[in-house]
Amino acid sequence: MRRRDFGAVAATLGMSGLLPARWAQAQTRAESLRVLSEAGPNSFDPIGIGVNRNAIQLHWNAYDRLLRFGTQTRPDGTLYFDYYTIEGELAERFEVSDDKTAITLHLRRDATFHDGSPVTAEDVKWSLDRVLGIASGRAQFSTGSMTSPDQFVVVDAHTVRVTTPRPDRFTLPNLAGTYPVIFNAKVAKAHATAADPWATEWLKTNVAGGGAFKLDNYVPGQSLTLSRFDNWKSGALPGFRRVLWQMVPNAQSRRSSLERGDADIVQDLPPQDAVSIAQAGKVKVVGVPMAGAFQFIGMNSAKPPFDNVKVRQAVAYALPYQQMFEAALFKRGQPLFGGKPGEADGTAFPQPLGYSTDLEKAKALLVEAGFANGFDTTFSFELSLATVAEPVSLLVQEALGKIGIRVTIDKVPGGQLGTRLEKKEVPFFFEGSAAYFADPDYFFRIFYHGPTRWNFGSYNNPEFQALVDKTRYETDKAVYDADVSRMIALVKQDIPIILLWQPALDTGMQASVEGYKYLFHRQLELRTLKRG
Amino acid sequence: MAFLLRRLAGVVPTLFGVVVAAFILTRLLPGDPAVFFANSVTADAVTIAAVRQKLGLDLPLWQQFLVYAGQLLRGDLGQSVGTGQPVATDLLRLLPASAELTLVAFALAILVAVPLGVAAALRPGSVIDHACRLLSTAGVSLPTFVSGLLLIYIFYYQLGTAPEPIGRIDPFAIPPPGITGFLLIDTLLAGDTAGFAAAARQIVLPAVTMALFALAPLARMTRASMLGVLGSEFIRTARANGLRRRKIIVSYALRNALLPIVTTLGMVFSNMLGANVLVERVFAWPGIGSYALDSLISLDYAPVQGFMLLMATIFVLVNLVIDLLYAVIDPRTGLFHA
Repeated sequence: MRRRDFGAVAATLGMSGLLPARWAQAQTRAESLRVLSEAGPNSFDPIGIGVNRNAIQLHWNAYDRLLRFGTQTRPDGTLYFDYYTIEGELAERFEVSDDKTAITLHLRRDATFHDGSPVTAEDVKWSLDRVLGIASGRAQFSTGSMTSPDQFVVVDAHTVRVTTPRPDRFTLPNLAGTYPVIFNAKVAKAHATAADPWATEWLKTNVAGGGAFKLDNYVPGQSLTLSRFDNWKSGALPGFRRVLWQMVPNAQSRRSSLERGDADIVQDLPPQDAVSIAQAGKVKVVGVPMAGAFQFIGMNSAKPPFDNVKVRQAVAYALPYQQMFEAALFKRGQPLFGGKPGEADGTAFPQPLGYSTDLEKAKALLVEAGFANGFDTTFSFELSLATVAEPVSLLVQEALGKIGIRVTIDKVPGGQLGTRLEKKEVPFFFEGSAAYFADPDYFFRIFYHGPTRWNFGSYNNPEFQALVDKTRYETDKAVYDADVSRMIALVKQDIPIILLWQPALDTGMQASVEGYKYLFHRQLELRTLKRG
Repeated sequence: MAFLLRRLAGVVPTLFGVVVAAFILTRLLPGDPAVFFANSVTADAVTIAAVRQKLGLDLPLWQQFLVYAGQLLRGDLGQSVGTGQPVATDLLRLLPASAELTLVAFALAILVAVPLGVAAALRPGSVIDHACRLLSTAGVSLPTFVSGLLLIYIFYYQLGTAPEPIGRIDPFAIPPPGITGFLLIDTLLAGDTAGFAAAARQIVLPAVTMALFALAPLARMTRASMLGVLGSEFIRTARANGLRRRKIIVSYALRNALLPIVTTLGMVFSNMLGANVLVERVFAWPGIGSYALDSLISLDYAPVQGFMLLMATIFVLVNLVIDLLYAVIDPRTGLFHA
């Protein structure tokens, strides 16, 4: 091979080229925000195959939804979403009919998309129909009784009506959720094909919306540049004109960049870093308990030995909760252990399940269950959760050893635990998950009910299952509360999964960055941020 | 030339084998991508089935292979779920970044390791020999994420002399038009000396980290090979004939010692290109190593297959170059005259 052949090969391999990131040099630091996170979006479309959590941060800020959740302020001044207050976003107002089966949404008349075209009811209709057109969207919308495009009616150019067969508490929250973004339907339809009527391929890599921020530049896996949409009408103009969001996989590198003052916001801080950064005091760390999120120890209650409720209770009494909370989570979160045993303490859920460490009781329960000599089992966790799961697993192993349960630890490579949970072949494990909606029956329906892997404990108590179905459309608050209380009592007694805690979402930021708002999806709300 | 053609023809079955192996190995991964990608908590069995069909994983294995082979023939490496981009686009974007870093680190490593190995071989047991041993032992035993973080801590965090260890270029700078994908070359082609300086500053720390790792095998191999040659009879004859020391070492000893060194160079280079995930992670360097690892963890078949194919091609090419270098270094191999 001659030298010029080498040149040709090198040139072919290097054809890629970077898109110019036109970060105007003149922008002052005060108007620019630089965010570092562990990973970036793999799609700009909220609905699709394997869309990751980071994708939300982009489409949440680049698109508007019809409705949004309200805002409350925590004692430390942090803004927090308010699940039970729903307000208009792209809809300037909405009315719910007296029989609660129709929601009429009035669009802002002056709202436009990024390309300047007005937002019309047709765009809204297409966007909502689209959610139903894609499998995972349909599954989500059915939790709010929206299953057919006929339910989305265009009344006039600026009015849309959503009807449901019967009153459903989850219709409004679903419309304020992450899926139903409003697309610029004309633009999107121009990229639809017969095989892909909802333009999923195109919308995966392009934004056609009217949210508070426009996407200027995207280098996959490296960075995104956003600029404020100055004609945004759905709220007060955001405080930053430019946002540079970069992906830095290594937590140490993110941290040093923050402490050196080069980054404004650093996401996904591991618990021990959050503690030590806060102690060093150079920058602030906002730690917010994640609503609906929880980490837990699951037991497959469909198979021996965990099909025996006494065995599950014995495990729940044997766990060293406080030690785990300190060693694994560095107390960055809200405990779900301790609390009132055996019966409901209010109707909010998750709530502490009423178990505290009591080895004598654990031993006695194990003897009653017929396992006086203990048994052998395997405890699994996924390696991506190792920072927390590793110390938890060691403490579980040690504690259960004391009551005669011999535990082997199984570290499962990322992506594989889900498959094994789906097949219901994992006896005993550590996992985490989150529900977006705060209603306790929603939580129970996903995590304590049905054949999916999300029913982590394979819980199947007929009385409980009947209550899950009964509460679905319950509109009488007193009846609902009584039913939920009963369900809480049942999961405390039957303990198919042992809730450990709600971890905190720790975000590091410069002292000058203000207006941080925690949202149910745990990604950044760029609309409210500003520099003080 | 006949040799070259013969060698190139031999590449075809090798690559076909890699295509088959890559396909089978990814299918052997003990995870179900459909379950993994149907990741919303409202996903039920119907959603999972829909995802499986969309990914083409509902077909029998042989049909999946035919589909994949058909795509390859059209130059389509498939679609990455993890980045949402075509795999070919991803690899073309990421390979120059990895290659640039590897080449710089490789050059650094050679510049230090070969003279060091030669010096150590000339004076076995001396201070410089011990220094060589110390450096190569430290190089292999310090994991790259430790040396990388250490360098960041000293030169960025404490001293502030190094730029922020994130990526290939200052995020506020405007990158040069992409011609080769190598920032150091593209900035010069665009006549942007400030950009060149910025890119060079950015690459120093990761390149040093990587070079530290590559130093060890090179220095040790150079030393061992030189020691062997220096003890041989023709060197004694050269010395007896009173040839100049410099001539003996460079023209006679080093040239004869080069063969095993070049072999090691080839291995080290290929390894550095694909296996430096840790350096890429620590410095947020957008390379193919972490791309492949991320894809593997998230059961994303197409990029893993594409990566294996690309690396196999590069290995084959590097081996070819090494073979050609043999002929240049040692005419006795007779490759050009056979």
